[in-house]
Amino acid sequence: MMNHRTRLRLSVAAVILASTPVFAETPDDQLVIGFSMTNILTLDPAAITGKETVQVLANVYDGLVQLDPVDRAEVQPDLAESWDVSEDGTTITFHLREAAFASGNPVRAEDVVWSLTRLMTLNLAQASFLKTYGFTAEGAAEAFTAPDDRTVVVTLPQKVNPEIIIATLGIVGPGSILDSELVKENARNDDWGGAWLAQNSAGSAAFNIQQWQSNNLVLLTRNDNFWGEAPAMRRIIWRHIPESQSQRLQLERGDLDIAFQLAPADLGALENTDGIEIQTVPSAGFYYLAMSMKDERFQDPKVREAMRYLIDYDGLNEAILPFYGTEHQRPISGGFLGLLDDPGHALDPEKAKALLAEAGYADGMNVTLRALSDDPFLNLATALQGTLAQGGIRAEVITGSGDQIYGAMRERNFEMIVGRGGGGQLPDPDSNMRALIYNPDNSDEARLTNFQGWRTGFFDEEINSMIDAAAATTDRDERIALYADIQNRYEEEAGPIIPFSEVVTSTAYRDDLAGLTVNPSWSTDLSTVTKTR
Amino acid sequence: MLTRTRTRSIARQVGTIAVTLLGLLVLTFVIGRMMPADPVRAIVGEEATRDTYMQVYQQLGLDRPLVVQFFLYLRDVLTGDFGTSIRTGQPVIDDIITVMPATLELATLAIIIGAGLGIPLGVIAAVKKDRWQDHVIRVISLAGHSMPIFWTGMIALLIFYAWLGWVGGGGRMSDYFIGLVPPVTNFILIDAALAGEWDVFQSALNHLILPASLLGYSSSAYITRMTRSFMLDQINQEYITTARVKGLSVRQTIWRHAFLNIRVQLVTIVALAYGALLEGAVLIETVFSWPGFGQYLTSNLMIGDMNAVMTCVLLVGVIFIALNLLSDVLYRVFDPRTR
Repeated sequence: MMNHRTRLRLSVAAVILASTPVFAETPDDQLVIGFSMTNILTLDPAAITGKETVQVLANVYDGLVQLDPVDRAEVQPDLAESWDVSEDGTTITFHLREAAFASGNPVRAEDVVWSLTRLMTLNLAQASFLKTYGFTAEGAAEAFTAPDDRTVVVTLPQKVNPEIIIATLGIVGPGSILDSELVKENARNDDWGGAWLAQNSAGSAAFNIQQWQSNNLVLLTRNDNFWGEAPAMRRIIWRHIPESQSQRLQLERGDLDIAFQLAPADLGALENTDGIEIQTVPSAGFYYLAMSMKDERFQDPKVREAMRYLIDYDGLNEAILPFYGTEHQRPISGGFLGLLDDPGHALDPEKAKALLAEAGYADGMNVTLRALSDDPFLNLATALQGTLAQGGIRAEVITGSGDQIYGAMRERNFEMIVGRGGGGQLPDPDSNMRALIYNPDNSDEARLTNFQGWRTGFFDEEINSMIDAAAATTDRDERIALYADIQNRYEEEAGPIIPFSEVVTSTAYRDDLAGLTVNPSWSTDLSTVTKTR
Repeated sequence: MLTRTRTRSIARQVGTIAVTLLGLLVLTFVIGRMMPADPVRAIVGEEATRDTYMQVYQQLGLDRPLVVQFFLYLRDVLTGDFGTSIRTGQPVIDDIITVMPATLELATLAIIIGAGLGIPLGVIAAVKKDRWQDHVIRVISLAGHSMPIFWTGMIALLIFYAWLGWVGGGGRMSDYFIGLVPPVTNFILIDAALAGEWDVFQSALNHLILPASLLGYSSSAYITRMTRSFMLDQINQEYITTARVKGLSVRQTIWRHAFLNIRVQLVTIVALAYGALLEGAVLIETVFSWPGFGQYLTSNLMIGDMNAVMTCVLLVGVIFIALNLLSDVLYRVFDPRTR
C-alpha cells in the first residue's frame, strides 16, 4: 500500500513539475519556421526537387545572380557584381565580387565552372533547366570557362535569348555555386560529393547547414564569413510540422515565427488574429482543367472550346481557391513579359451545348475526371463536375495520390484532369511555354513527360517554332509581340490545357518580424529578417 | 532427457521464428513492389526528363527481374545490410537508431501511465462488479479506446497548450533549444540531464507529458479490460472464499492473493500493449510533430522508400516476436507449473 501511495505522489509531482507554464516566445536572435519537409530528400542543390528545399537552400547558397522578390521579371546581382552580353548574343561574361565561402575559401571563377559542370554531369533533377537550352555534360567544358579568377564566361550552345540563361542561373538549384575545394575533399568514388552534400553545405550565403534530420528539422547557423551584411539571426530552425492546425497553434502561441504551409482554412482564421500578418505572393504555375488529345473526342477543337465555357472561373476562385490561387486564364504567369489581358471567359452552358452539338455530341458525353485526393483538387473536381454537367458532360471523378493521378497523365492514359503546373520557376514566359504548350515530338515513344504539351497530346509544329523563335529573340518588343501571337494562337486552337487560376503562396508570420519579403520563386532571403520585441 | 527436450523445444522455437521472419520478408517485399508510389519519381521530381528518370531507375536496380531483386535484398539483409534510404541518403539502420529513441521515450512514459491507470481501475472494476464504480470505469475506458487519437490529440493541444499554456506544443522541446544539447543517447531527457541543461530538460518534459498521457490513456483501456477479467477469474475461485472466511479483509485478499496470481498475465498484456505503442504512435507522432519511428515509417511509405519501409516492417515483426518470447520466459519464471 505504501508503495502504491508513494508512486501516486511521484506521478502527481511529475505532472506538477511538467505543468509549470511554458515560456512561449522565441529568442530574438533565432528564427523558428514551420513547414512540411516531406519533399526534402536531399540538400544537394543539383538534386533537389521541391520548393521546400529551395526555401532552405536560398539562404545557404549564392548564385551568380538572384531573382528579384518584388519584380518577377528582374534579376539582381549576387556573386556576380555585373555581367555583359556579347554583341552577337552568344556569350555572357560575369564579373565576380570579392567573396568567401563559409569555409573561408575564396569564391573563384573556377568554383563557378566546377559547380555548373557538376550539375550537367550528374544530370539530376535540376539539370533540366539548362538542358532545355542545349547545355550538356559533354559540352560543359566549352560552355563554361574561367579566363581568370574573377571572370566566368558562359557560351550558349544554341540560339536563345541570353536573358533567359541569366535568369536561369538565378534559380536556386541550377544556379547555386559550390565551394569546389570543400566538396572535393568530401567526395566519395566519383560522386562529385553528392552523398556529403545531401547532408552538408558548401555555400557562400548568409547561413550554413548545421544539421538536417529528415522529416524533423533543418538547423542553419550564421555564416561568419558572409560577404554581405551580417544577418540579425544567429540560428534559423526549420521544423517539420506536417499538420496545418499544429502550425497555426504554434504560430499563435509564439513558438513559431513563420508558418510556410498553412491550409486556407487556417489562414482565413489567422487573418483576423492579433499579432499575425499574412503575405500572399504569386507563385509558379496554374490550376487548370486539361484533356487528353489521345482521346478522339478531344481532337475536335469544338469540344475543347466547349469545355472553356463549362468552368465557373469566378466561383472556383472565390469559393475554393482563396489563399491557393487568383483568377488567371492565360498560359503565362502574372508579371511576366508579354502576358496578355485575360480573355474574360465565363461559365456559359448554352454556348458550350451549342458547340458540343456542332461537334456531334448533342447528348453530351461521359468522361472521367482525375484529381488528387487532397485540397483543393477534390473540391475543384466536385465543383467542375457540377458545371460540366450543365453542358451535358457527365464526369466521373477519379481521385488518388500523385502517382496515380499525374502518373496516368504522364502515361497519356487519361481523359480529363484537374491539375496544377505550368512552369514559372524561371521568371520568363519561355518557362511557361515549354512546360505547358511545347511538344517537339508527339510519339508515345518520345516520353517527353516533362512537357505537359506532350502529356496532353497537343502538337502544333507552327507553335513549337514560334516558341523557339521567341526564346531566341533578343529584342524586347519583338519578344512581347511573339508571345502575344502564341497566346492568341493557343486560344484560337483551344489548347487542351485551360488555366483558370494562378497559384499563390501565402505565408503567415508574427507581426514583430521586420524585413521579410516572401519571394515568388520560393527563394525567400531570411538574412534581412529582424525581430522587434 | 530433460535437456534434450529443452534443446528440441528451443530449436523448434528458433525454426518458427526464422520461418515467420522469412514470410514477413517475402510479404513486405511483394507489397513494397506493388505499391503505387514511384520511388524514382520521388527522387527526380515531376519535371525530370526521360533520361534522368531512366538513369535513376537503373541506379536503384529496378530494371532487374523481381526475383533477382528479392534475392539480392535477401542476401543484403542476411549480411546485415538493410540498404540506403531514399529520403535521407543514410543507411536505413542508422536512421532507425536515430528515430527510435524518440518513440521509445514516448511509449515508455505512455505505458507507465497506461499500466498505472489501467491495472488499478481493472482491479476496482472487478471487485465492484456491476456496481456503479464498474460502470464508471467501463465508460472511462471505452472512451479512451474509441476516441480517435488524432482528434483527442488536437483537442488536448488546443486546451492544454493553446488556451492554458500548461504544456509545450509539437516537437520534443521548444524549437530554439534544438541542437543545444549534444546527442549522446538520443533520449532527450537523458541527454539534457547529462549536459546539465535543465531548461532543455524541463522543456522536453513539458512536450512529452501530453502525447504520452494521451497514448497512455488509450492503451489503459485494453489493460483495464484485461485486468478486470483476470481478476474476476480469481475472485470466483475457492481460495479467495477461504481467505475471506479466515478473516482477511477484502483489500488484503485482493492485493496479497488474487493480484499475485495474475501478475504474470499482466506482465504479458503490458508487454504486448508496449509493442503496440511502439508502432501505433503513428497518428500521435503526426499531430505532435514527434520525430519518431511512426513518422519515419509513414513518410517513407508515402514516397515509396522501399528499403526503409521493409526494414521498419521487419523491425515491428521482430519486436512482436521478441515480446512474445519474453512473456513466454516470464511465464516460466513466475509460474512453476509451466516449467
